[in-house]
Amino acid sequence: MTDDEKAAALRPPADPLGDQFWQSLKEGRLTFQRCKHCGNAWLPVRSECPRCLEADWAWENASGAARLISWVVYHRAFHEAFADRVPYTVAVVELTEGPRMTSNIIGAGDPEALKIDQALRLVIEPDFGLFVPRFTPV
Amino acid sequence: MPLPKDVETTTPKYLRDKYAIVGVGETSYTRGSGRSTRALATWAVKNAILDAGLTPADIDAVLSYQSGDSTFAPFVAGDLGIRLNFFMDVFGGGSSTEALTGMAIGLIEAGMCKTVAIFRAMNGFSQVRIGGTGARSAPPITGDMLHSRAYGWQSAGQMFAPTFMRHMFDYGTRPEQVAAVKAIHSEHASNNPKAYYKKRYTVEDVLRSRIITKPLHLLDCCVETDNGTAIIVTSAERARDCRQPLVLIRGVVGRCTKPRADMHYEAGPISTVAGAYAREILWPNAGVGPADVDLTGAYDAFTFTAMLQLEDYGFCKKGEGGEYVSDGTIRLGGRRPNNTSGGHLCEGYTHGMNMVIENVRQLRAEADDSCPVGEDGRRRHTFDYREGGCRQVRSAEVSANLGWATPATGSAMVLRRL
Ligand SMILES: [Zn+2]
Repeated sequence: MTDDEKAAALRPPADPLGDQFWQSLKEGRLTFQRCKHCGNAWLPVRSECPRCLEADWAWENASGAARLISWVVYHRAFHEAFADRVPYTVAVVELTEGPRMTSNIIGAGDPEALKIDQALRLVIEPDFGLFVPRFTPV
Repeated sequence: MPLPKDVETTTPKYLRDKYAIVGVGETSYTRGSGRSTRALATWAVKNAILDAGLTPADIDAVLSYQSGDSTFAPFVAGDLGIRLNFFMDVFGGGSSTEALTGMAIGLIEAGMCKTVAIFRAMNGFSQVRIGGTGARSAPPITGDMLHSRAYGWQSAGQMFAPTFMRHMFDYGTRPEQVAAVKAIHSEHASNNPKAYYKKRYTVEDVLRSRIITKPLHLLDCCVETDNGTAIIVTSAERARDCRQPLVLIRGVVGRCTKPRADMHYEAGPISTVAGAYAREILWPNAGVGPADVDLTGAYDAFTFTAMLQLEDYGFCKKGEGGEYVSDGTIRLGGRRPNNTSGGHLCEGYTHGMNMVIENVRQLRAEADDSCPVGEDGRRRHTFDYREGGCRQVRSAEVSANLGWATPATGSAMVLRRL
């Protein structure tokens, strides 16, 4: 598999809102959306606040502090692009600001030793042309 | 005309027992069917029509579900000589059988058709593998992968598994407890001549099998097979003219979701699944509760999906699912056997329909095991559950199917024999 093919496999599908999320990461910021009307904060990106349905929201920068909600460790890749990465960890993390997101846990040593609810911090990693928000144990 | 007094919009109690599943049919479960999904569907629907003692002219509606991997209702109807008053092919996999049964009731109730065949046909091994390899691993072009693809978050089981991981943390559930689901379903499958895997496995076999994605071992994952499956739904009134003992539909809930079905992990608690919501519709609709159910068909795409659903539909207390699936309750001969055909873990992968077919046969007291068939055509069950033996549940009167699409989406159905 060529590097271009691998990059294509990682790249999220084009989406006007999603593109803004990934562009901010390129600038070193992990962002989430906050409703100006009711204060609700959320990820993944949506065009309206899922609590009050107002479309009047703003991007906010995450502090990078988070905790581990749950995770799994891939010992087998389900796409060739990830074949040389196993074992790798996919996690659900909760930002201190509230929103939850999918991510990877890196730099944890033995991934089997991860603990639910443990504190994490953001690491933005360049990866095949993307800047991917990943987390590492504090 | 005044409506009955107890009617409320979410619980149409006046439809309880008014509809029936009169026919069930399937193809063989193989890896390498050598047939198109169209041919598999035609074969399965034909078997269901014959089972019901009907002719194609009696069927006037066909529904199917698929994930871009199968044929469509009009082709199958054409191959069977059926003229349609209604057809629809919907997108989706697990949890669709129960949901479409509910839709069939609505269609007949609305006067749009009279007798509905529902099928699922898939070359789930030889063409599009649900495990996420083969054609299914190609990068998707839909917008819903925005927040998973870059992290390598692929394949159904791996997307479901954080729920189980969190359940282990929240409630102390152990891998060996859910491994018992595979062991028990494999015992059931060993008494099912048509099961793809008839071999009996132990809890140790499951725990010794290689880790695919922690916390899932290879044997925690279901089989991938090629097959067609079908059921026929009609009114109880028409059902009385059919060939088989009556199996009535008590209540259905379809594709009921947790908050934020698109990314349910964003709303806690994640160790709870859609059944916790669906049960609020299912049990009032059916007019029975878990204690009244004699056997279950909890969707076993993975060992833990059966556990999570049995727990959240209230067959045990929240957090005690691990105990419930490993203490013998769900074994043939136990208090409430689950997936007596072997389910997805052993019989074959059908996106839930084989579990409904099995429960219909159980309620007819006609589980197709190796017990002898009498001169009247009825099986003489021995209730000897040893390997290769009987798999009929004694005095099975009420069954519950708990269909799973994801942790966030479920459907369910209660059936009873007359
Ligand atoms: Zn709002």
